[in-house]
Parts: sequence; structure tokens; C-alpha cells
Amino acid sequence: MRGLKPIALILVLASLTGLPSVSAQEPFPSRPISLVVPFPPGGVADLTARPVAAALERNLKNPVGVVNKTGAAGAVGMQSVATSKPDGYTLLLALSSISIIPEADKLFGRPPAFTVDQLTPIALISADPTVLVVRVESPWKTAKDFIEDARNRSGQISYSSSGIYGTLHMAMELLSHAAQIKLRHVPYAGAGPALTALLGGHVDALASGPAVVLPQIKAGKLRVLAGWGESRVPALPEVPTFKELGYPDAEFYIWAGVFAPKGTPEPVLARLREGLRAAVGDPEFKAAMDKLETPIAFKQGDEFARFFAADAKRLAEGVRKVGRIEEKKP
Amino acid sequence: MPPTSAALTTDRAGGAGLALLALGVLWESRALPVGTWREPGPGAVPVGLALVALALGVALVARGGSAPPLGGVGWSEAPRALVVVAALAFLALAFERLGYRLSVFATVLFLVGAVERRPPLAALVYAAGISWGSFFLFNGLLKVPLPRGPFGL
Amino acid sequence: MPETLQNLALGFSVALQPAMLFYAFAGCVIGTLVGVLPGVGPLAGISLLLPATFGLDATRAIVLLAGIYYGAMYGGSTTSILMRIPGEAASVMTCIDGYAMARKGRAGAALAIAAVGSFVAGTLSVVALMLLAPPLANLALRFGPPEYAALLLLGLLVLAYMSGGSMLKSLAMAALGLLLGMVGIDQMSGYFRFAYGVVELGDGLGVVPLAVGLFGIAEVLLTAGQPTPPVVQKPRLRELFPTRREWRESVAPIGRGTVLGFLIGIVPGSAHIISSFVSYAVERRLSRRPEEFGHGAVAGVAGPESANNAATSGAFVPMLALGVPSGPIPAVMLAAMMVHGVSPGPLLIQQSPALFWGFIASMYVGNVMLLVLNLPMVGLFVNVLRVPYGYLYPAIIVFCVLGVYAVNGSVVDVWIAAAMGVLGWILRKLEFETAPIVLGAILAPMVEMSLRQSLAMSDGHYAIFLTRPIAAGLLAAGVLLLLLGLRSWIPFADKGADA
Repeated sequence: MRGLKPIALILVLASLTGLPSVSAQEPFPSRPISLVVPFPPGGVADLTARPVAAALERNLKNPVGVVNKTGAAGAVGMQSVATSKPDGYTLLLALSSISIIPEADKLFGRPPAFTVDQLTPIALISADPTVLVVRVESPWKTAKDFIEDARNRSGQISYSSSGIYGTLHMAMELLSHAAQIKLRHVPYAGAGPALTALLGGHVDALASGPAVVLPQIKAGKLRVLAGWGESRVPALPEVPTFKELGYPDAEFYIWAGVFAPKGTPEPVLARLREGLRAAVGDPEFKAAMDKLETPIAFKQGDEFARFFAADAKRLAEGVRKVGRIEEKKP
Repeated sequence: MPPTSAALTTDRAGGAGLALLALGVLWESRALPVGTWREPGPGAVPVGLALVALALGVALVARGGSAPPLGGVGWSEAPRALVVVAALAFLALAFERLGYRLSVFATVLFLVGAVERRPPLAALVYAAGISWGSFFLFNGLLKVPLPRGPFGL
Repeated sequence: MPETLQNLALGFSVALQPAMLFYAFAGCVIGTLVGVLPGVGPLAGISLLLPATFGLDATRAIVLLAGIYYGAMYGGSTTSILMRIPGEAASVMTCIDGYAMARKGRAGAALAIAAVGSFVAGTLSVVALMLLAPPLANLALRFGPPEYAALLLLGLLVLAYMSGGSMLKSLAMAALGLLLGMVGIDQMSGYFRFAYGVVELGDGLGVVPLAVGLFGIAEVLLTAGQPTPPVVQKPRLRELFPTRREWRESVAPIGRGTVLGFLIGIVPGSAHIISSFVSYAVERRLSRRPEEFGHGAVAGVAGPESANNAATSGAFVPMLALGVPSGPIPAVMLAAMMVHGVSPGPLLIQQSPALFWGFIASMYVGNVMLLVLNLPMVGLFVNVLRVPYGYLYPAIIVFCVLGVYAVNGSVVDVWIAAAMGVLGWILRKLEFETAPIVLGAILAPMVEMSLRQSLAMSDGHYAIFLTRPIAAGLLAAGVLLLLLGLRSWIPFADKGADA
């Protein structure tokens, strides 16, 4: 009986290769679609993905389920979609870090987990500009104070981030290069610990998505100095942008967009684009995003592709400038 | 004093294993920059730990003479255990290809029917119950995503 | 104080509504089911079921999630005691003495003590949470990387006291665990370490695959050939419950475990997982009969189980008082609140008193429910052991794989657990204790990161550890413990090579 097992195994695995694949003549969609979120449940990406999936499901009249595939700051989930079958049934909801990860891989000379070319952008859902926050007790009342102080005390002001080469780190790096200042970076394992570190006084500043810090600002614990967006954050109308302050290169958004593997047939992509456009206008979706205090910023197709390409270029430059830290001596 | 010369004891085997692993880590860490005392790099702590582990492994080999001899360790359960390992490997390989229910069914049927030699009907019913039952409970009711295989199984 | 009682009354008025009771109960049942699954603990439980709560209003969702959370913690001890398989990473210590008690026919007693200890710890720490949340939270915030590093170094010291027998062998296993913990992305520099191109290893081998593999799968490999289950007798009803002596022996460990667990839990970060390990070491150190540990010491179950529960309540302190996610579990709870439009933050208590106090009250209710659920089920659980082992162990294997897979949806984790199972099997044959491996693997990356963060904060000056009072204090305590330990180190080492 024991000798049969390996033979059985081989037979089973061999028969799998002969299984019929989904034929292209089937109308799309006819099976449940997976929207892969490369981050854990409860995070920004996950909370954005769920209303998207629900609204898309209503529009396509076809189940759309969220699947969390976490690991390696998003690389695991992104890689899994980049290498999956381009039939439109596996989609990715990615954050702006998607442009950073392959660049970081290149920096370290390792084969990239995935490349941006393996994915086709479908639509942008939201784009939160990051904002610069400091504790209310700190001496800087405006961004100008902060930058000036940073120039005088080069390398003394510290900031936390969600991880090296992460979105919050890159935002600060873009600012540092635009304003010609040098700050001290203390990486943490995620946005939550980064915020806790700032509140506890262990670092001086933080670049953060606005939604997460709004409650702290309202409670009078944190002060916002400036934003990385092209325009001011609606919930913080008195906060200037770095662009207004004279640093147009400091532009950074934590955006969330939907991608499909490259090679997905054009009719499928068109249907998805349309579905997402309708989803974004869906009142339930809008209500959900309101609760999360995340403004909707819809771009689709070519417009998104252009936005994505420009953003990717900016970030790639940023990553290259950061370089590998141990190669930089003070 | 028990003879410590060439006695291969359990402690010594363990210590040797640890020392070898430590050497392996040291070798693999050669690409990681160690950094400075002020700014330790990614290689600093692994190398430090590997050195500590190496020291402990060597100490175990040196002092392990009074442990039970390696030859005395009974491996009577080894054949059965190895079959379980093979079944486990099959399950891991088949999990995402055949889907949860089929691979679990096959594994349990094999272990209960073939390895444990329980009555075939009982094994079939039990295997089907475990695979379909747990799938329903965890995937259906508790929404734990479990892989599906061919034909949605 | 009267205000607190008033608020609590408000809370109970919310929590005791029939609908709320239903959700709390549902949460407890679901949590228990999830917790019994090897490796799937409260975090995985809440994360998996979070989407299911989206249709509910905020308070109900939070009550449900809290129920799942506690239920998973209670459920996790059940498999640890009955089958030496950790229901979640923090139950690893319960596997050791809890299972040993089960082998002596005291499975029911162990389960009861675990349930009662968890209840007492859970209730007391909720009280502490309620009374002390804001001041404690502010204290917790002062824990930065240097304090964290000092605390974790203390935790490393614990490794030496975890097992009986040869100190050298314990240390060797601890070193093995520390090395295994080095796999993954280095958060400070971005390098992939020892991952060999497998992206899934970026976050490390994973506590769950390690714990389930080293304990659960290894246990099956060791015992698969046996005709009867290792724990053989069906205890009589009278024997299901702990004797007077056993109750007496568990009182002090429960007390100590509660305090210890709560304090560790408050510290932001993932340190609360080490609460059960620390409690075990403390109990061993303080026990008048340390040689019992590993062979069914009541304190070895009572302490860690209480510490575990207290730590989970402690973890809620910064979350509720400051709206700050102090760990992965509070982060998911915070997200749950956000999704339901409740804005977590320092003003949560003022802005949503019904939610806050309802949550606290439902934690009391949840604890009571779980005690009521679990105690009578002790007999039922123990009967599972009567299933012929030939049927039982394949099911165990399946559930281990299911649990490990469920955490990340990744087959790589299953492979890791399988490999760790083989390793654990070999190590047990060579009479090495495997618990230090798990603790070492958890601690290594945390200690390293805190150390390097501290140096980043201070621009490379080690003085930061001495100039900050909390850090210096913890380090001093550690040095003291080390010196005290060294004095009695010699008797330990001579105990011989039996684990």
C-alpha cells in the first residue's frame, strides 16, 4: 500500500496540467474576483479595499472578495498578483509603495520580487498627501521654523517612519532633498509604532497620512506644519503645502490604486475601469470613505497611468538618492 | 569519570549541530555589512549571535561526555514518523493545487486507511467528514480563506 | 470613584442588553473555535473576522471582536493542555506543564485552573484598565526604544531560567532560537537576511509556524506509532476538578501572573507575547519545588495563563486612552472603530462614553461567559482524548496545517512548520527542550531593532541607555538578576543532562 503513494501523487499532479483553462469566450466576469490586499486587515490599504470591493461587486453583479496576502511590506501580495494569470480575476489594490519596492530591490542588487512592468494600472481610488506633524510642545510653530532649525542643527532633528524605504520615509527624504536639510531617521516597524514614538517624545517629527493623526490634532496633542500635496488637505485648510512654501519637489501622496497583471485582455480591463468608475460614485462607497476620512481621488486608464509613471519616477529617484545607508558616512 | 574520548553522546550531537549551523550563518553573513559600534549594520547581530552559538555548541561538545550515548537513543517510531512527514509534504504540495478539501481528504484517508489500517469504510467516512466538515466550519462559517482546487473543490 | 461607578453602570446598561449579550456570546464561541485551532490566536482570529463585522454598528462590532479575542485566548489553552499543541504562540508555556498534568490524569484540573486563572487575571486587569487607563497610558508612552531594549534584554535573561536540567543546553537552544529569529528583512537597513529569494520569508520564519511545528507537529511525529493516545485515562467526574491543594498552589501564581502580565502588556509593542514566558520563569524561580516544573507543576499553568490574559487587557490601555495602536491586536480594534466611524484618540472616552464603557463592561461579561462556557466543557474536551489515536493524530496534523495556513494564507508557512516539526522531533530525541527556541526567535529581532533604533536616536552614543531613567532602571534590575542567578548557576549546571 505504501508503494502506491508516490505513484498516486505523480498521477494526480500530472493530471492537473491537463486541466482546461478558462476559455476566453466566457463573458467577464463569470467567477468570483479576488482583490488582493498586500497588507494586514485593519490597515489603510485593507480599509480602502473593502468598500471598493463591495461597490465593485454591486456594479459587476459578481462576487468580489478581498484577500489579504501580507508580508515583506507588501512585496508578497504584489508579487503574487504580478505573477498570476492575467484573466481579470485576480486584482491588486496597491499603495504607492509599489513603486518603491522594486527600486529598493535593485539598490541591493537582488532580483526584484516583481517589477512595475508586470502590472497594468486600472484606476486610482484615493490619494492622501502626507503631512508633517510634530508634538504641540515642540518649538516649531511653522514649517519655516522647522526647516531653518534643521539647517542650523544638521542631523539633530529626528523623525520616525513606518520602515526603511517605506512611504513615510520616502516622503521625508523628498523633503530633505528639496529643502537641502539633513534629518535623523529612526525606522519603526509600521505606521502605528511610528506614531506612538512621536507621541511619546522619542522622535521629533513624523510624515503621516492625515486620517491617522486627525484625532490627535483635534485633541491638541500634535501640530501639523505642512503638507506634501499639490493642494491643501480639505480637513486641514489652514495648513500650507510645501509647494506653496517654495519646495515643489516635495510632493508625495499615499495613494491606493487597483492593478491587474500585465496581459489582461483589453475588454476585461475596460469593463473593470467602468466598474471602478461606477463604484467610486456609489453612495455607500462614499459614505464608507467618509468614515475613514479619506478623500476619493479617482483617476482611470491613461490618466492614472500618467500619474503613476510620474510618481514612480519621483520615488525611484528618491530611493536612489537615499542609497544604501551604510554607504553614506557622516 | 565516564570515558569522554570518542563517545558520541546526545549532547555532543546537538552541540555539533549547533556549531555547524553557526558556521553556516557566519558564512552566509559575509555579504552583510557589519557596520560600526555606533551604527551596527545588518550583519552585526547575526554575526555576534552566531559566534555565541558557536561557543555554546563547542562547549556542549566538550562537556557532553556524560550524556547518554547517541547510539542508545531509540528510533523505533522513526518509520512511522517519516511516513507522517511524507504525508505532510504531500499535503503542503497539494494544498493550493488540489484545494483544501481534496488534499486533506487524500491525506487523512492515506494516514487512517493505509498507515493505520483502519477499516476502509470508516476511513473513507472519517476522511470525508474531516475535510468537508472543517472546510464548511472554517471557510464557510468563519470565513477563513482556504484554497480551492479543480472544479472549485 | 463614584464617577467611575456611574460610568460603569452606563457600560453595563449597554453591555447587558440582550442584543449585546448575544454578540458577546457569539464572539466567545467563535473565538473559542478559532483559538482551539493550533497557532491561530487572537490576532489571527480578529483579523479574519473583522470583515464580518462591517455590517454591524460600532459598539456591537467591538463587543463581538472583544469576545473573539478573549475566546481565542481561552481556546488556545485547551489544545496546549490536551495535546501539547500551542493554540497560539503565547500558549507555548502551557504546553509544557499543562500537558504534563494531563499525562498524570490531571487534564481536567489543568483546564479548570487555566480557565479560572484566565478569568481572575482578565477581570482584575479590566478593573485596573478602567481605573488607571489614562495615567498608565502616559507612562506607557514613555517606553521608547532604549526602554524597550532594556526590557527585552531582561526577557533574554528569562531564557536561562525557562527549563530545568542543564543550563548549557537551555542556552544552546536559546541561541538556536535567536539565530532563527534573524531571518527576514532587516527593518533598519532594508537588507533581506537569510531569505534566499523567498519573499514570504521577509517577515521572518513566523512565530506561529515555529510554535506549531516545534510543539504540535513534533509531538505527532514522536507519538504517531503508538497504539493508544499518550493520555489514556478517562478521568472520573470528581477527578475533573482541581484538588484543594492544587487550588492553593495556584493562588499566588495567578496573582503574580496577573500583575506581571498587565505591566508587560501595557508597554506598546509586541512585548505582551513574552508575558507567559516571563511568568513561567518567575514561578520556577520562586517555587519551593522547582524540580516539579516540566512535570506538571500547577504554578507552571496558573502563572503563564494568567499573565497571558492580563497582558491582553494591558495592551488595550494605550489604545483606549490615547487612541494609539500599541500592538497588532489593538491596531485591528482601532481599525474596526474607524471603519464604524468612531474616531479613536485621546478624546474617545469623552466623545463615545457608551462605546468605551460598554466595551469595558462587555469584557467583564465576556470573561464570565467564557468561564461558564469552558468549565462544563472540560469534560467534553477531555473526552476528545478517547478517540483512538490512529484517527486522532491525522486530524491533529490537518488542523495544525489549517491553523498555520490561516494566519497568512501562505503555504510557505506550512513548509516552515513541517521543517520545524522534524527539527523539534530530533531535538526531543536528543533531550533538548524546545521552548527557549520559540522565545529566542521572538526576542531576537525585537532586541536588535530596539538597540539599533536607540543608537539611531542618539547618533551612536550608548550613553542613551544610562541617561534615560526607565531604561537605566531596567538594565540595573537585569544586572542584579544576572548576578543573583550566577550565584546559583553552579547547582543548576550540575543537575545533569535530563530535561
